[in-house]
Amino acid sequence: MVQARKWNKHPAVLLTVASALAWIVLVADWLWFNRVAGIVLRVEWGQLLFEFQPIYWIVFLPPLFISTFWLVWALRKQPRSNLRVLVVASAAYPFCWQLAVFVAGNAADWTGWTGFDTLRAQFARFGTAALFFLGLFWMIWIIERGSRYYDRLRIARLLAQEAEGGPTAAIHGGVADILPNEEPPVWNALDINAWYYNLRTDDLFSLSRWARLISSLSNRSADPQTRPQRKLNQSLSGLAGYCFVFLITFLVFSNIGGCQEQFEMPAGGGEQKQIAQVVKVQKIIKKKFVVNPFSAIRFKVPPIDEIKLQLLEVTKHAYKIGQGAGDGAGFSGGTRKGKVRFVRLEYTGGDWDQDFGVGADLNMLIEYGIRTKQKVNDKTESRTIGQLKNFAKYKNQPIVYLTGQRNISLSKSEIKIVNGYLIEKHGMIFFDNGGSGNFHNQVISMMNRVLPNVRPVQIPRDDVIHRVPYPIPRLPYVAPHGGRVALGWKVDGRWVAYYHPGDIGDAWTDDHSRVPPEVWESCYQLGTNVIFYAYAEYNKWVQAQKAK
Amino acid sequence: MGASSKGQVTQRQIEVRRSRLGLCAVALFAFALCAGQTANVRAGRLDEMSVDRWKKLRETERYQLNIAEKYFRAQRNWKVAAAEYEKYLTLYERSDAAPYAQLMWSICQSNLKNKHTAIKEGFQSVIDYWPDSPDAVSAAYYIGLTYKQIGEVRKAKKAYQKVLADYAKHPVTVFAMSELVDVSVLEKDLPTRVVLWKKLTFESKRTSGRDVRNICEKASRDLAVHSFNIGAFGDGVKALETTYLEPVIVANVVANVRGPIATQVADTKTKAKADKLADLAISYVVGITPSDTSTPEKELFAIQHWFHVVDINASAGRTTKVPPLYNQIIQKFGEDDVVLGRLAGWWKTQKQYDKARQTYGRFKNKIEGQNQIAVSYRNERRIEPAVLAYRKLMLDDAENTHKWHAQIAVTYDENRQYKKAIEVYLQLLKEDIEQADKWRWAVAYDYERSGQHKQAIGYYRQCSNFPSNYQRMAGCHIALKQYGEAIVLYNQIVGGAPSSAPWASLQIGYTLERAGKKELAIRQFQLVCKRFPKDGHASQAHAHLQNKYKITATLGGAKSED
Repeated sequence: MVQARKWNKHPAVLLTVASALAWIVLVADWLWFNRVAGIVLRVEWGQLLFEFQPIYWIVFLPPLFISTFWLVWALRKQPRSNLRVLVVASAAYPFCWQLAVFVAGNAADWTGWTGFDTLRAQFARFGTAALFFLGLFWMIWIIERGSRYYDRLRIARLLAQEAEGGPTAAIHGGVADILPNEEPPVWNALDINAWYYNLRTDDLFSLSRWARLISSLSNRSADPQTRPQRKLNQSLSGLAGYCFVFLITFLVFSNIGGCQEQFEMPAGGGEQKQIAQVVKVQKIIKKKFVVNPFSAIRFKVPPIDEIKLQLLEVTKHAYKIGQGAGDGAGFSGGTRKGKVRFVRLEYTGGDWDQDFGVGADLNMLIEYGIRTKQKVNDKTESRTIGQLKNFAKYKNQPIVYLTGQRNISLSKSEIKIVNGYLIEKHGMIFFDNGGSGNFHNQVISMMNRVLPNVRPVQIPRDDVIHRVPYPIPRLPYVAPHGGRVALGWKVDGRWVAYYHPGDIGDAWTDDHSRVPPEVWESCYQLGTNVIFYAYAEYNKWVQAQKAK
Repeated sequence: MGASSKGQVTQRQIEVRRSRLGLCAVALFAFALCAGQTANVRAGRLDEMSVDRWKKLRETERYQLNIAEKYFRAQRNWKVAAAEYEKYLTLYERSDAAPYAQLMWSICQSNLKNKHTAIKEGFQSVIDYWPDSPDAVSAAYYIGLTYKQIGEVRKAKKAYQKVLADYAKHPVTVFAMSELVDVSVLEKDLPTRVVLWKKLTFESKRTSGRDVRNICEKASRDLAVHSFNIGAFGDGVKALETTYLEPVIVANVVANVRGPIATQVADTKTKAKADKLADLAISYVVGITPSDTSTPEKELFAIQHWFHVVDINASAGRTTKVPPLYNQIIQKFGEDDVVLGRLAGWWKTQKQYDKARQTYGRFKNKIEGQNQIAVSYRNERRIEPAVLAYRKLMLDDAENTHKWHAQIAVTYDENRQYKKAIEVYLQLLKEDIEQADKWRWAVAYDYERSGQHKQAIGYYRQCSNFPSNYQRMAGCHIALKQYGEAIVLYNQIVGGAPSSAPWASLQIGYTLERAGKKELAIRQFQLVCKRFPKDGHASQAHAHLQNKYKITATLGGAKSED
């Protein structure tokens, strides 16, 4: 009968262990590796499009049911034990917490409602806090129980020694503070008689106290009167140790990529083609005169060239600006809440924040939105080079903008991060020379370090980046700080860096540096082209990865 | 009699002429046979048409092609040239030169930065429509080249490899291999590079023009250096032997082996390898050093070999061996200024100036020896002995008094003793009237450097090298805080020297700024941006406005023309 009951339990235990292992693996993938993130199942329901990552759902959902099962089991199990219920609830917590974050993230993707995004962030934030307190609770419990357990053991050993004719003095008070004979000093942190709990703050700076401590090590028995002090020391040490371990774990997780930043592209689709320009010609024919060639009156017949033509040029979007299949202008790999963002790269050594934010970058972003009809963010942002590491591989920011006029100082690790961003995450850098020949050299030197096997080349006029969506037959610039030629770095047929030599950012400012209108208009067009190119290429790559 | 003899001579002459013509015809035929395949490249470059093809064209075709060529080669107006080649294609589609016109149109597109158009609509069309024409070979190569120019290294590599596969015997493969060597540098693929170098060195014919020969020769040198680096001295020599013949081979072996020796000797790990390489090189040179020194030429040739041995030892860091070797040379061939000059030069590299001067003192050409002694004092920054040496030279070499006198001034200038230098220059100004302008400028420049700006302005004013003298004068006025005068001078430069106008306009801005007229300065900087938007000085003005005045409205902006 007993055997049968054990076998009944085993499938549940086995299932739990297997589910937990699978959960650990998939959570690691979800956080850092994104190997299975590309496997997507699309379900259309009315106007809503649900994109599932089935493997994640298959692995993340069962722990919820398994946790519920074990919780019910713990509550119903007789005799009822609160400890058992607490253990099960604590074990279930990480699974449920992670599921809540995951579901909130997915809901945000499906509905495009930013409230879910906020909810996801709150789950993540408060969940971490809850995890901290939960861990703290169990740490206190373990210390307390451990301390009592070792006291009991020591008393048992003393009683045994007494029975063999040993010292009896300890039977009165403070028995737990007397160590049995010929036992080495206690090192166990759970034992309140551990030698280091005798330490006080002023002990650390006093030689005599250290001497006393060393002698007490040889005596080994602790003073019963110092028990409250030792208890306090034990509790404080436990708290400090726990905080330290939690902090380190948190930092390691966030540095490894636990706090990955996700950038979503706007959902939709479109074609990577040049904007079609429709020219409507309207002839305005002047008054017609019937001229008698034999008339006595001389009349000058206007030559045909003088007939006024009123040209009405209309830029007609004959197609959606975007990439892939989908409704509205956007990208097939995008989501409803996704937006095109303008992220500036912060670096040391120079003035990365030249014309940053409102009145320059934001103008470009707004213009991009107007021209492409794609959703754009309502503000521009900046990130440090170190933060590029946290960008999710398949939800990466496809382009970052780097400008300035002084030096670009990058460490070896930063060079590695930039390389990873460009190559592994399929990102792109839009360099803009903000005001000096030196900055030109800085950019070249930086890229030589980032991509030592790639040489900069002149970007052709008829390249897709100069044609789509706007044809840019001549490079516009505000001032020729680094020459008059746009340079590019190409890897596997894709531009990973675009260098504009002539302060394009100044043409995006509110006053456009008062350059001629055709120049700043062309600068906006070029900006649109470069941003669109980066998004389109990234989208193509993400789609290709998903197809694999 | 006279007439008959005249007639006989004439007959003989005709026969001789006939036989000569026959020989010439055979020679021309043989040449044509040999060079048939390489005709296109023989024309010089891949973008040139062979004379054989040119002469087959009709007069009208040549006329149109000449117009296009004029814009392409003389005026380098790619846009017009492309239009003219296109016109040729429209008019004479079936002409022999049609593929050539298409090729040239494609090159024009490439130069106009329409690289994708050049490849897809240009070069590829040449191959597709005229696959057997000589231009198809060039087009195949240009496809690779254009891909490389737009950063598509993989596609370029593929295109070059196709050239090698499709036109294995054509000289264009040399160009393709040369480009593949460059690609292998990018890919850090040394084994492939070595294979290509070997092909270029040993297998490629170098008879198809200067460009081909240069590429193969460079490959042989690179292969030799690589061989020396890995310790294969014999292979390196073999590679160089494909390029250099007997009299010059030694010099080139030594020139190419010295680098690897010096690099390896600097590292303790490879020092032993360097020593071995140096020994091999020395034994090679010694082995072929001629023992026959019967004529001055042969003696000179033998001395050169000894110099090579010295150079190799010097590169290997064997400094103790160098002076004895020179002494051996002197003992063997006698004391010579060239040998002594090299020995003294070596002492100078070892910072042993006294020994160097002793050696210069042994020169047969006492004037040159004394000059070198003076130079060595200058190298040591010892002014007085140098000046004394030059003064001695002025006495000894009366024909070149001014030359040595000027050197005294230069010595003072080098050591910033401008007053003394000015004195010398003023003396020269009186004595050497032929070069008065030069000395006047030197006096003015030294006055300016010594802070005597008024005197400097006076002398600059007498110089005739506008606008340089006006530029310096304006600088002196600024130093004297006479900003108004400086601006007048800058304005004169703007009006009189268009090429210096952007610079002068920018300087006006800076001068106004120094004068405290900030508003005018800002306007002036904006004017520079507006007037010369494509010039580098506009960039400076733009940056200055933004950095100093936080003004973004700079009024510049333009679009690149080409």
